[in-house]
Amino acid sequence: MTQKKRILIVDDDPDFAAAIQKILTSADYHVDVAGNVNDGMKAIKEEIPDLILLDVMMERYDDGFNMCYDLKHDDRYRGIPIIIVTAVTEVTGLKFDPQTDGEYLEADDYVQKPISPEALLTKVARLI
Amino acid sequence: MSGERARILVVDDEKVIRDSCTRILTTEGHIVKSAEDGNIGLEVFREFHPDIVLVDLKMPGKSGMDILEEIEGSDPNVVKIVITGYATVSSAVDAMQRGAYDFIPKPFTPEEISLIVARGLERRRLFLESEALRVEQERIRRNMISLVSHELRAPLAATVQYLEVILGGMAGKISSEAKEMIDRCNIRIKELLELLSRWLNLATFDPDKMAEHFQDISLSNIATESIELLKPLAEEKKISLILEKPDDLPPIKGSKVSLGEIFNNVISNAIKYNKAGGWAKVKLYERDEEVWVEISDNGSGISEEHLQRIFDEFYRVDGRRNAPVKGSGLGLSIVKRLVEAHGGMIDAKSRFGEGTTFRISFPKFFQRQKEG
Repeated sequence: MTQKKRILIVDDDPDFAAAIQKILTSADYHVDVAGNVNDGMKAIKEEIPDLILLDVMMERYDDGFNMCYDLKHDDRYRGIPIIIVTAVTEVTGLKFDPQTDGEYLEADDYVQKPISPEALLTKVARLI
Repeated sequence: MSGERARILVVDDEKVIRDSCTRILTTEGHIVKSAEDGNIGLEVFREFHPDIVLVDLKMPGKSGMDILEEIEGSDPNVVKIVITGYATVSSAVDAMQRGAYDFIPKPFTPEEISLIVARGLERRRLFLESEALRVEQERIRRNMISLVSHELRAPLAATVQYLEVILGGMAGKISSEAKEMIDRCNIRIKELLELLSRWLNLATFDPDKMAEHFQDISLSNIATESIELLKPLAEEKKISLILEKPDDLPPIKGSKVSLGEIFNNVISNAIKYNKAGGWAKVKLYERDEEVWVEISDNGSGISEEHLQRIFDEFYRVDGRRNAPVKGSGLGLSIVKRLVEAHGGMIDAKSRFGEGTTFRISFPKFFQRQKEG
């Protein structure tokens, strides 16, 4: 039996994370949840996941952006696919624009909260 | 501008005026540069970034008025002072209407020029302070809006996410009646999320920021894509969609996403507020320096009293909760802002019961005006 693929959710909203976790476990992924950047980094160092679902606004409004940037600029972790999951749409004062900032952040994909289970599973399957 | 040490540019064809201004103002501790004609003056202006510009109105070549206008256009906060001969007081008044702050008649004493420059510097200081304040206030306002909106969205997003899990059957079996109700909950909360993001877009909309990413856009392509997107809705409502466009429509400068939103919004209105068997027509053409878009329908039309207010925020012609067509009342106000951000204009003509025509014009060569 092949091992289950591991997905790490980094999100400070426990309800949202629990709902996403349910969707992913129902598709037979192994899912861990971290509630902030520190716990997320700790989990990654312990065992490199096959994919990360990363929230943007956590303790700081740009935590997710920074964590993504750090991972993609670290030789040990740059290979982990990252999907940014955010309720922040492109035209807020935070200047999040997948077309321009996306390139800079080098995330592999973006989804908006909330997301339909099918859309999420499709995006995850494409990257994992 | 640091302390009282200011950067001053003197543009005058008379050497004696340039030299005396330079001597007097340098003695007072200012950094002074001078130019003997308008073209050199503007060149120096662009590199030197002065706080104050002293300009002679009567010069050979480029006139003082032209220089004033160009400086006013590139940075209205630079204080402009006109140097003028006795005979040209009336043109000094003219100059002040073009953005000059003050004028000094020739000949002048060192005391006179010092006084007028000191007054100009005070003006400059106030300009810069109020500008810094305005930028800071705007930044706070935008951050507030983003944070509040995130706080509002997050619980709704989490709720919808649970509902999706339940509806997807991942949390066990539910009765078909419960499923129906949860389905409705899901739809209603999604409507609320949609309303929030529309409001957020409107509240944080920044036409200057948008214009930075403008590129050449073919409205023919935008119209075609929009019609393609709305085809299922039109088929459902039994409305035929017609596109009339010339083969050689010139491009305009704009944002693909925003222009798409304009077309989607107005065309979908033409479909929604229509009756089975009706039509919605998109017509594109070029006239003079503009590209025009006409989106018309033979639908229900809008009466005169409503027509005046359709571009207002949150205004709905049929505002009843159980109105047959649902909406936030933000669609057309967003459209209007997006059109204006492209330097365009929009208006609507309608006859109640006969149909509506929206006319939108976009300039072919767009240049964003700096706000004064």
